[in-house]
This record gives sequence, C-alpha cells and structure tokens, in this order.
Amino acid sequence: MTFVSQHVPAVRRTADRRAPLKTLLDREAVFSWLLMALPLLFLASLVGYPFVYGLLLSLQDRPVAQTGTFVGFQNFVVNFHDPVFWQVAVNTFIYTGVATLLKMVGGLCLAVAMNQHFRMKNLVRALLLLPFIVPTVLSTVAWMWMLDPAFSVVNRLLVAFGWPKPGPSWLGDPTLAMISIIIINTWRGLPFYGITLLAGLQTVPPELYEAATIDGAGGWQRFRFVTLPLLRPIILIVTLFSIIFTFADFQLVYVLTHGGPQNATNLFATYAFDIAMGAGQLGLGASVALAMLPALAVLIVALTIYMRRN
Amino acid sequence: MTKRATSSATSRRRFLKLATAGTAVVLSKPQLARAQSKTITFLHESSFIKPFDEYVQNVLAPAYQKQTGIKVNYEITSVGSLPTRISTVAETGSGADVTMNGLLQVIQFGEKYLDVGDIAEDVGKAQGGWYDAGKEAVLVNGKWKAIPFSNIGQLMNWRTDWFQEVGVKTFPETWEELYEVGKKLKAKDHPFGFELGHGFGDNHGWLYPLLWSYGGAEVAADGKTVVIDSDETARAVDFARKFFKDTMLPDVLGWTDVSNNKAWMAEQISCTNNAESILWFAKREFPEIGKVTAQAMNPAGPKGRFHLLNSISHSIFSFSPVREEARAFMRWLMEPQQLSGWYDVAETYYQPLLHAYDNAPMWNIEPRNLPYRDALGSAHLPGWPAPASRHLAESVAKYVVVDMFAKACAGTPTKDVIKSAEAQLKGIYRSA
Repeated sequence: MTFVSQHVPAVRRTADRRAPLKTLLDREAVFSWLLMALPLLFLASLVGYPFVYGLLLSLQDRPVAQTGTFVGFQNFVVNFHDPVFWQVAVNTFIYTGVATLLKMVGGLCLAVAMNQHFRMKNLVRALLLLPFIVPTVLSTVAWMWMLDPAFSVVNRLLVAFGWPKPGPSWLGDPTLAMISIIIINTWRGLPFYGITLLAGLQTVPPELYEAATIDGAGGWQRFRFVTLPLLRPIILIVTLFSIIFTFADFQLVYVLTHGGPQNATNLFATYAFDIAMGAGQLGLGASVALAMLPALAVLIVALTIYMRRN
Repeated sequence: MTKRATSSATSRRRFLKLATAGTAVVLSKPQLARAQSKTITFLHESSFIKPFDEYVQNVLAPAYQKQTGIKVNYEITSVGSLPTRISTVAETGSGADVTMNGLLQVIQFGEKYLDVGDIAEDVGKAQGGWYDAGKEAVLVNGKWKAIPFSNIGQLMNWRTDWFQEVGVKTFPETWEELYEVGKKLKAKDHPFGFELGHGFGDNHGWLYPLLWSYGGAEVAADGKTVVIDSDETARAVDFARKFFKDTMLPDVLGWTDVSNNKAWMAEQISCTNNAESILWFAKREFPEIGKVTAQAMNPAGPKGRFHLLNSISHSIFSFSPVREEARAFMRWLMEPQQLSGWYDVAETYYQPLLHAYDNAPMWNIEPRNLPYRDALGSAHLPGWPAPASRHLAESVAKYVVVDMFAKACAGTPTKDVIKSAEAQLKGIYRSA
C-alpha cells in the first residue's frame, strides 16, 4: 500500500506533463505540418536555395572567382540587345514545340499500337524503353556517327539512290541541324510518352468500348470519343513534363553540335552554360538561364488551370 | 564504507582524467602527423600523352617527397573539365594548391592566384629567356599570375601524297597559294577540312590567325575599342568564303573538335588545322596515314604569318595553406633537370616557351614537329593585339569571330556578318 501511495502521484505528474504535448500532436494541423517539415526543409535547401541564389546572381555582375557587384536588371538589358539571345529564344521555342508535338502524336500512336495483343508483347514493350534508358551522352555519340556524312547509313542509302556525294550535311546546315536535334530528342523522349500513355490506356474500362461498339461506333470513333477524352489528363501531365525537360535540354546539343552551326541549335541551357562556365560570367549566364522561367511558368500555370477545370 | 566510497570516487575521477587525456591524444595525433608531412595538391588536366602524367606520378612526385618530405598529390581531371574544376576550387577556396591553366583561365582566375613573378623571372634568366608568347599568356595587369609551361600549337596538317598528285611538294607559303592547291585537290575528291563549327580549339586555331594575317582584329590594343569593322576583316572574310566553297567539305560548318581527326583517319580530307595529336594518333593507330602526314606553319597573308597561342601554365592559389611550400615546389619543378625530363616524355607535344629548349634533343625525335617550335614566335592569344581580359573570354565563349566567318561561308554577305559581329562585340566590351 505504502509502495503504491508513494508512486502513483509520480506517474500522474509525468502524465500531466506529457498531456499538452500529446494534445498538441493530436491536433491535425500541427501533426501534418510536422510531417511536412522534413520534405519542406528538403525542398527549401535543394530547390529553393539554388533558385534564390540564381535569382541573386542574375542581378549581379559576377565574374567567376570574384566578388559580385549589384547591377539591377542590367544583365537582362544586355540580353535584350544581344541578337544571339533572341536567336537562342526562337531556337528553344521551335525545338520544344516541334519535338513535343512529335512526341505527343508519336507517343499516342505507339501506346495504341502497344495496347494491341501480339506475340512477345512484353519483350517489345521493354525494348521500347531503350532509347530512354541509354545515357543521353552515349546515344548522342552514336547519333553523331550516324549523322556524319562519311559514315552515315542514311547518306550511304541516299547516295546509292543517286543523291550527289557525300549527301546532306546533317549538322553543317542550320535547318538540317535543327531537324536533326529535334529527331534525336523525339527518338529519346518517345518511350516516355508511349509507356505512360499505355499505362493510361490500360485503365480505360473495356465496357465503354463494348457500349460504344453496340452504339455503332467504328474504330476511329471509339478512339476519338472514348480513348482520347479518358486519356486527356494523362496526356496533359506527360506534355507538361516533356515541355519542361525539352525546354531545358542540354546534353544532346552540348555533345552533338555545341550550339553550332552559327548558333542554329543553341538553346537557353547551352548558351547560359557557355556564358557562365566558358566565359566565367556567372551573373550574365544566370540571367540567360532565368529567361526560360516566365515562358515555362505561364505554360505550367495555364496547363494546371486547364486540368483543374476538366 | 566511507573508505570504499572514496576510493571508488577517486578511481572514477582518474578514469575520467585518463579518458580525457586519451581522447585528446587521439584527436591531436592526426594534426601532429599532418603538420609533419605536408601535402601539395597539384591539379592537372588528363594529358593526351599518357607518359606525361605518369612521369609526375612515378618520377617527379616521389623524387620531391624524398628530397623534402612533402607529398605531391597529382590530381588529374578529365579533358575539358579543368575550367569547371578550377571554378569550384576558386569559389570554395579549397581542393588544390597548384593548378594547371588552359588558354583563358589565368585571366579568369587571376585574382585567386599568387603573383609568381619572382619564380618566373628567375626561371627565364636561367634558361635562355621566355618567348613573348609565354608572357602574353600569363601576365594579368603586369603581374605574373602563372608560370608559363608550354604551348600546344595549332598548325597545318597536310597529306604529302595527295599534295604531290597535284604537283606540290612543299606546303604553300600563302593563303592564296593554299587556296589554289585546295581547288585542285577538291576536284580530285581530296577536299580540305577546316572546322567552322562550335568546337573548342580547331576553329579558333585557324580563324584568328587568318584574320590577323589580313590585318584584321576584333579589338584595338587598348582592349576597349571594337575595330572588327574594317576592310582588312572584310578581305579575310571574303577569302574564307571562297576557301570554304572551293576547297572544303560542306560538313565543316557543323564540325566540333573531334570531327577533323575522324575525317583525317577516314582519309576524307587532305589538309586541316590541328595540334600535333593528329600525327601522334595516326602514327600509333594508322601507320600508313602517319607516313603521309606532314605539318607546316600557317600560311601567310598580306600582313604576315600568325598562329594561335594555346598555352599551358601553372598557378598557385592564394588561399592555399601551403603557399610557401607550393612556391618552393614550383621553383624545383621549373629547374632544368625536372623540366627537361617532363618535356622529353611527351616528345614535343608540349612546346616549351623557354628559349633554352629551342634546340633540345627532343626536337630531333620527330622533325615533322619542328614547325610547332618555329610558330612560337608569331603566336598570340585570341583577341590580340588587346591584352587578355574577361571580355575576350566572353567573346571566345560566344564564338563571335568563328561565327562571323561561318555565316559568311554559309552565304551571308560580308557586310552583314561583320556588322552582327561588331554589335555582339560592342555588347561584350561594353564595360571595358
């Protein structure tokens, strides 16, 4: 008895002390924020910090290994008057626009084709992912050989069919060079579209197709009125990602053409890198990289609003 | 009871004392060890000539450690990554004590480098004096921010057998003569191949010398006034256009630095502009091509003969904790005994910028490399006659001069390409 009477108050005291903490944790707002804290910290340090640092850099005249001086929007003014900057902007929009469209249409066709039943379906689906899996630098080097007139399989075929030797200069002609990088980007990005849309296709309930067929819908109508509306949210998400990836593409151009010939394939990312790392002008380089932001932001907001509405 | 308690308390106190002392010893030991054996980290870009790097690792570093007890840690970065690596070291203030510099790094990182004028001047005095090109590459605002090491020249590489087919036994003296030969060779399906795309070196390697040899320049000697819009530049551009059209493969407009080497080994081109590496590689991998590969100085234009300075030098970071040790190491490294051994293993791939090596035995190993020595007297940094500056680095990184020529070759009128280059250069030299 003595034993109990001595210890119970102690236990009660501890419980009383813990109670506020416990109730605090029980409150959903507190607990959810607590769970969010780590990811938020993670985001702030790995995304927020570099972003804010980039913003600050773009407002400075900051040669590498020297202290920067604040210059306001001068770097952006310099870019505004730089003809190559505008050429790079046009290049980036053309590259992103055409490549994304090709990937979207091609990816959809690929997904529909892969959704059919045929022999070794799984193997073919796995192989499709190869261009996406192979490191970009490696596959780009392979393309470099394929686009070299002396070794190009395409040129050899064309020459065999009577094209004057040595055939088209894929990377020497400004238009052909842009077409080449768009083709390679499409080749590399198609599987991402294809496989993601395939996953979407498989969630479409077969009953809907049956119902449509009973109502007399043909193949195209089934695709147009059943498949497409149901796939739309996925198409939008994939497009969003694809635009972001393509807009900021670097490796492919850096390895294949380094922005040449005469800046015909120079994109925001490669131009910013050359200025920041090649010329050692970190501030000016950051301002070129940040020029991508408004366009991307408008696009992302527009797509998000559109998706929410639907 | 009391006695036992006291003794246990004493032993606890003793234990704590011992543990603290032990920890202190353990913690302080590495520091002591570090103080006794210092390390100099020596950053270098991986060399095309393997024995060159091995010589430091296996001969120079061990010899220096034996002599002084100081360890030299030779850190190799991959080709092309040196500027990024130096940026990281300079920005963070740690990671290396001595570094190799490529073409433009001395200007870019000069503020983080020690003035090594005392060492450089002593080395010059002792070994026949420096080439002017050596000084041009390392002097920042009149101070030696690096010790010149060598040039990796960019010269003409030509196929003797095909040149002979059109009756040419020695390399043409002028650009115009070369053009005439090129026309004949292209007609025989042996075109020329000079890079006009966005590589790192093989484009600048011939385009700046071409511009200079016609009397053109991008900026005046004051380093401020943009002077690209001149009749001399126009003549150089006009020459480049016909030279491209009548002698070359159209694909050169999209070439990067690997392309001309690839085309050479595939026997596609009869003349190009490259470093000694093309002959090295041909001799090793394609001996038949190696036999018919010769090298020559750049042709002359109306205003003379020029070459691009593609120099290598060594600097000491001002924030290095072993600055003084690094100075002593550089002094030792630049002594004839060490230096000549190091040059020798690379034969003449690295062309010394000290006159004492003008007749060194290594030049007898491959006489076809002699033009690289003779070109040193007329070699300049891009942007010459202006002193090297951050603006010059920006102009090079933006390919202003390369693209001026390339656009003309692709068909844009001379006036327009010069005007757009001028607009770009004025933007770049805005704050000079």
